[in-house]
Amino acid sequence: MSEPKPPSGAPRDPSRRAFLRGALAAGAITQTLSKVEAALAEPTVDPSAAASADDEVATLAGKVPVTLSINGRDTKLSIEPRTTLLSALRVHADPPLTGTKEVCAQGNCGACTVLLDGRPVYACLQLAIDVQGRAIRTVEGLGTPEALSPVQAAFCEHDALMCGFCTPGFVVATTACLEKNPSASLDEIKHELSGNLCRCGTYPHVFAAALDAGARLGGEPRKDAR
Amino acid sequence: MTAPDSNAAQIAAAAAAANALPPAADERPEWTPRAEMTVLNREIPRLDGPQKVTGRARYTHDVRLPGMVYARLVVTPYARADVGRISLTAARKVPGVVYAETVKADDEGVRYQGYDGILVVVAAETPEAAEDGVRAVRAKVTPLRPPLVTPEQALADGAPQITRRGNVSSESSRGDSDAAAAALEGCDAVVEATYTLPVQHHVCLETHGCVVDYRGGDSATVYHSSQYVTGGPQEFAQYLELPRGNVRVICEHMGGGFGSKFGAGTEGLLACQTAKALGRPVHLMLTREDEFLMAGNRSGSKQRMVGGATKDGKLRALLVEADRLGGVGQGSLPTPPYIYDVETSWSRLRSVHTATDSNRAQRSPGHPQASFAMESLVDELAYALSIDPLAMRLANLSDPVYHRQLQRAAREIGWDAHPHKTAHGAPDADGRALGIGFGVSTWGSSSRPDAIVEVRIHPDGSLEVSNAVQDIGQGSRTLVAAIVAEEFGLPVSAVTPRIGDSSLPTSVYSGGSITTGSVAPAVKDAAFNARTALAARVATALGVEPDTLVFRGGRVEVRDDPSVGMSWKGACALLGGDPLTASGKYRDHLHGERVHGAQAAKVSVDVLTGRVRVLRMVCVQDQGIPFNRMALRSQINGGLIQALSYGLFEERVIDPIHGVMLSDDLEAYKIAGAQEMPEFTVILDDDDDRQAAMGMAEAPNIPGHGAIANAVYNACGVRVRDMPLTPDKILTKWLEMQR
Ligand code: FES
Ligand code: FES
Repeated sequence: MSEPKPPSGAPRDPSRRAFLRGALAAGAITQTLSKVEAALAEPTVDPSAAASADDEVATLAGKVPVTLSINGRDTKLSIEPRTTLLSALRVHADPPLTGTKEVCAQGNCGACTVLLDGRPVYACLQLAIDVQGRAIRTVEGLGTPEALSPVQAAFCEHDALMCGFCTPGFVVATTACLEKNPSASLDEIKHELSGNLCRCGTYPHVFAAALDAGARLGGEPRKDAR
Repeated sequence: MTAPDSNAAQIAAAAAAANALPPAADERPEWTPRAEMTVLNREIPRLDGPQKVTGRARYTHDVRLPGMVYARLVVTPYARADVGRISLTAARKVPGVVYAETVKADDEGVRYQGYDGILVVVAAETPEAAEDGVRAVRAKVTPLRPPLVTPEQALADGAPQITRRGNVSSESSRGDSDAAAAALEGCDAVVEATYTLPVQHHVCLETHGCVVDYRGGDSATVYHSSQYVTGGPQEFAQYLELPRGNVRVICEHMGGGFGSKFGAGTEGLLACQTAKALGRPVHLMLTREDEFLMAGNRSGSKQRMVGGATKDGKLRALLVEADRLGGVGQGSLPTPPYIYDVETSWSRLRSVHTATDSNRAQRSPGHPQASFAMESLVDELAYALSIDPLAMRLANLSDPVYHRQLQRAAREIGWDAHPHKTAHGAPDADGRALGIGFGVSTWGSSSRPDAIVEVRIHPDGSLEVSNAVQDIGQGSRTLVAAIVAEEFGLPVSAVTPRIGDSSLPTSVYSGGSITTGSVAPAVKDAAFNARTALAARVATALGVEPDTLVFRGGRVEVRDDPSVGMSWKGACALLGGDPLTASGKYRDHLHGERVHGAQAAKVSVDVLTGRVRVLRMVCVQDQGIPFNRMALRSQINGGLIQALSYGLFEERVIDPIHGVMLSDDLEAYKIAGAQEMPEFTVILDDDDDRQAAMGMAEAPNIPGHGAIANAVYNACGVRVRDMPLTPDKILTKWLEMQR
């Protein structure tokens, strides 16, 4: 099931609220707390009052070597512990793997969905350092333009993409859904894809592609396929 | 980098090329009759599909260049504020930060939420370091009260002035209010109501931004998520202080625009300034929060209406006072009455400004707002007169296209068999009520004459079509190739489209559904010219007249004697060493104007929870020649879904005390997802036999939410006049009705 997306057995609370990415404990008013709380608590911040403390920065952690298994290949990176899997893929990997998209960076949209040991997760909610030793599959690893995976081929044939920015996330989430159950019904597909957002409005064609790809992957044909 | 020619030089060069290959004097390109088309008017899979589904398509956000830095903005959350000292000392000490500069002059405050709230730009070697830099910036920011984020605050006595035009601007009126008021007297039913719509966001999944590749010197390449590639160099060159001809703008793929991505924006300016200062490539993509704060929106709207009709269902009188709520922008709303004929009407429109981000064009600007009010009013009058709301609509629409389309939509949704047409229904034992509602749309689908297209045939048989146009998801890349393929009787895969680059021949912006109507004629013209030129060579080789030749099935052959001919490759080989290049320009006779559209929605309202479920949406849509039937269905689905989302969920929320936007992420600002999808029935109206190119993306976005609201009333008698149709409103009204 795609809700919640974070992996089973994750040792820590995967909630967005508890997810701390910064290495610095700085308190700029623009970025911290829920904004109204911040506004109510302290509508003004006077830099001169705390100038000495505020003008200093502290590095809490430097770079560490990390090895990630991405699309079947071990990839060595030198990154800070707070680096998300999404950033590791898109920015720090060499060459960068930019097929996995960044849209919200906080677990709201599914554009960054990758497979972690076969389960769909939001790469923006994973720390790269935490997923060492686990099999990471990204959209790039599912197929190539010349050799599309069944899901990718079905997406093309059903026009399940428009601008295409959400598409890698949908392709990966659909793959996860059908690898688990190629006979997934329309309702099951809707449920499994409910963690992914598309603004162009490709959902109906995505559903058609998913049902079709399921059949190609050996699923029983469904009555509700249309 | 090769510097592109200036537009003028391009046009001159293209004109020269066109002159070199004049078509036969009495011939001009005409669209192939639809029944004879072998490529167009069919389901054409997108040519860039394989790139997009495998993650290979490179968007602006994905551009990685040697030495590139990541820029981030420091933005105040307050709509209006005094800004005191800004300290960058700590930010500059953050490891990896290479740039931190204030955007504000000394003592310059924040006058409105959005671009004016940007305080500082930070750039760093990694996105993580840039974020640290943002967090390390110290600023004394004092919010001003009232924040002037609501129309009430802006209109209050003594409210500070928000824009140079004041807090109210652009007032206009039309019609005679006395005559309209008098016409109300003779009406059998009068409805007086105020309809309000919230501010909606575009929510492009790829945020706004660009990558400026400037490394010193006198030229630059800018990767820009843009709806107007051809227009890019002028703006970026100005910001980079470079000659326009030395700036090239590239947008290979872009993750949605919906009207919000025409210009470089302040983010583009700041990226250029940063790149100039550093002499390094700069990646500046807005964060999602920035995007909500400053990347535009659909203006809100408040429409006070009094409408009257006689018992024959004719609309006799309409008085409208409407406020456009576009923040510091003007907002948009077409002058009433929207689409429907009203015998006597009067309206007064004005813009009421708030200290919030300016509205921008958003898919069918102004129309969804006007549509909701008008469709609701027509519906209310129909029920007040106990007239079938479908019949009421037909009685006030003079264009026969609407009759055909509405009747088709009604048939598809099952209106005939629907049990309650002239009065609302009631919930069943489980508290669920079913209803059906309708709406119509219109769009001008105009064109612009700027596009120049080049078609090049290589001696090896390969074929290219070039134009700077951007593919914003509508499928323009596939369309330009398909038109050329049709001309030469080849599969689409035989044509390589080159688009999304300002160094290619001039194109138009993608907005207002003009792309297809503007570009397709120029592509057709170029393809026609190329075909005419190649046919002349083949005719000489075969010893036949050129006008006896047809291009079909991968061959060039005599129409009535296919044994006389040669393969496409053989024909191209006649070119010898040089490719054949032909240019084409916009041809007005290949373009058509004005699309319609009718929609019906079926909903289930749960009166115990207030939840509305849309079960089905039907759209009947005309569009001239349906070039790519599959892409059109996608486009229509998209319009319906955006309207559903607008109608049920979307609403910008700003705290009226502090002026802080509360709906600045995709959790607080909800857009429709997979679970909310109804069944869609999309009908391309093939009775529209206009042999013309025209865009239609705006039209299907217009009436859906109004149809849903009307369906809610039809289901259970709850009339919600302020969008979105959230459960609290449904429940409140339902409980009022039970008293
Ligand atoms: S980018 Fe990760 S869920 Fe949106
Ligand atoms: S295809 Fe554009 S957001 Fe989904």
